[in-house]
Amino acid sequence: MVGEKKWTPYLLLIPWIIGIIVFKIYPFFSSLYSSLFEKIGRTQNFVGFKNYAQIFTSSDMIGGRFINSLQVTAIYVFITVPLILIVSLLIAVVLSKKLKGVGFFRTAFYVPTLLGANVAVILLWRNLFENYGLINQFLKIFGVKPVMWFGTGAGAMTSIILLRVWQFGSTMLIFLGALQNIPETLYEAATMDGAGKVRTFFSVTVPQLTPIILFNGVMRLVESFQVFNGPSLITGGGPNFKTETMNLLIYETAFKMRNLNLGNAMSWVLFVILMIFTLLIFRSSRHWVHYGD
Amino acid sequence: MKKLFITFILLVATIFLAGCDGSSSKEDTIRFSWWGTSERNVATHKALKLFTEKTGIKVEPDQKTWNGYQTVLYNYLERGNEADVFQINYNWIYSMDGADYFYDINELGIDFSKYPESEHKPLTVDGKVLGLSISETGYIFYLNKKVYEEAGAEIPTTWDELIEAGQKIKAHDPKKYAIGRLDTQQASILMYSYLAQKYGKNVIEGDKFAFTKEELIEGLNFLDDLRSNNVLIENLQNDTHQDGPTNPNWINYENYGGILQWNTAVSEYQNTLPQGDEKMVTAGMFQINKGEQLGMYKKVSMAYAVSTRVAKSDVKKENVKKFLEFMTTDPEAVEILGVDRGVPSHSGAREQLAKKPEYKNSLEWMGHDIVQTYYDNQLSSNQNLYIHPFYEHETFRNVYEQPLQKFLFGTQNVEQTANEILRTFDTNLTKVMEGR
Repeated sequence: MVGEKKWTPYLLLIPWIIGIIVFKIYPFFSSLYSSLFEKIGRTQNFVGFKNYAQIFTSSDMIGGRFINSLQVTAIYVFITVPLILIVSLLIAVVLSKKLKGVGFFRTAFYVPTLLGANVAVILLWRNLFENYGLINQFLKIFGVKPVMWFGTGAGAMTSIILLRVWQFGSTMLIFLGALQNIPETLYEAATMDGAGKVRTFFSVTVPQLTPIILFNGVMRLVESFQVFNGPSLITGGGPNFKTETMNLLIYETAFKMRNLNLGNAMSWVLFVILMIFTLLIFRSSRHWVHYGD
Repeated sequence: MKKLFITFILLVATIFLAGCDGSSSKEDTIRFSWWGTSERNVATHKALKLFTEKTGIKVEPDQKTWNGYQTVLYNYLERGNEADVFQINYNWIYSMDGADYFYDINELGIDFSKYPESEHKPLTVDGKVLGLSISETGYIFYLNKKVYEEAGAEIPTTWDELIEAGQKIKAHDPKKYAIGRLDTQQASILMYSYLAQKYGKNVIEGDKFAFTKEELIEGLNFLDDLRSNNVLIENLQNDTHQDGPTNPNWINYENYGGILQWNTAVSEYQNTLPQGDEKMVTAGMFQINKGEQLGMYKKVSMAYAVSTRVAKSDVKKENVKKFLEFMTTDPEAVEILGVDRGVPSHSGAREQLAKKPEYKNSLEWMGHDIVQTYYDNQLSSNQNLYIHPFYEHETFRNVYEQPLQKFLFGTQNVEQTANEILRTFDTNLTKVMEGR
């Protein structure tokens, strides 16, 4: 009986441990190893950091695209992350009030997150923004000329950013939970001090939410750097590579161009960039995140 | 408890190991993978069923769509898990290191005498025949005659007539075009066809880019002429629909008067265009001078490749040979498969199908005849426009497609585009040819 108790937790952990070794730890290190090689025919030749040098060479046919994909990803991340945080926080604040039918709205706003960026949603998105799509038909009512959403870099980027921002549900729910934990006494004190709604929001609500803003910010940052579905299925990285994000190029390089070594090198660059940004945010958090009462 | 633990570990190991090898090792079963649209899939399944009935050899079908097929095949090959027989594009023999990964079909004892003499030359590396040719293909213009008739324009045969038709179509309805939208690959082959007609050169000769800067600039200017004369849309940003056959400008609004497409792929456009059978006509390749037959690039459309694993068993080899012969020569199979994989290269199969008007009069077959006639005509004037095996290489094509895409999107001028192509072409071609 004692022996059984001793083994049981390990037994239950085994599937998870196998999963993390096979699908996370092994690929993590093997991709680093593979990024130091170049495949010629069936032979893998050690080339050191040559693949890394290649992806940062603008005159190289892949390198040029990688540098472009860095810029594209940066634009996507630095617009999407703040936008999701702002939209979800504002909606969460509204939904934290005791309004009629608030339960319905909480569910409704969460539905897009449940749907995710699956193929059906993406097809819908594509049809919405097509030249003859619903959005242009709507604009036509007001006499606005059709917008070539997928014809310009800005238009195409807007469409994939909007898709991500539309799925703000989980971020909003986390904010909502945190909002309900802010002690009512703080609001009462602010009211007694004569603070208006805006002042209360920035002086009470936001400081109280900073740990959650940090959490949501980091999560959305990591996720946005790895964006793939939207650019792949809605814009195909176009027009003219204007929405070709890093993950999309990694996929193209590793699986379509069959250069796994180069794809792995790109993945490691993406990983390092993510690490740097995450560390910077954590470092800066000591200046703006308030954990105490 | 220990017993339970060991049982659990064994169960997990079994699940993992079972997933590791999906390859068909049974001698009486052939695993066959291909990509196709629904028509091809239905016909193939029917043929496979007949094969099993006739020979008693089972076939494990592995049907896929075009999208993703290549990626999956790459992975299968890396893991030695590919099907025994798999459909390939001609250039994959080179881009997938076929010499290392594909079996030499000579070893199966296939009879090549019913194929055109040089048919398997492009599929041969170091004396090994790495694919059994199914059909050949070339880029052909097909037009929607309704667009032309409504504007009172004749079906053109020369570039000048095409430009004239473009202007007439514009005068009739400014939203319509003589051709319409071409993607980067189609626009490049159009340009190279024009340059081949003018200078008698293939794109790649002696493993180098064949055209001079002045010639390339002339080709790009020609594309500009087509854009400014309502043959092609002015800028790719005006229509970013990526799938030609389902483009609303082709199927719904009929704003586009034509396509430039492999003759083996025309049925997709024909099927999606309402009354496509009546509206679509074969225009071949437009010429600089009336009556000429030049500028036709062609290649093997697709081939059957065989896994090197087959070599391990004589029984398997024999069965695979029977399968390949059945798929390409058996009269009943030929009838079932029709022209779903193009007009057969095997002369026996082609002669059999040619007796049937539904095949002989198809757009695909008419396109095939034009490709072969023009190509032979070019050969007699010492012009060999066979598509270089690395021209469509997944990495290499970036070298000319990227600059051309910028040009077609209007973000780069003729001079910049020509410079970019010339700067990177030869070095990158050498690189991919060396397998790097």
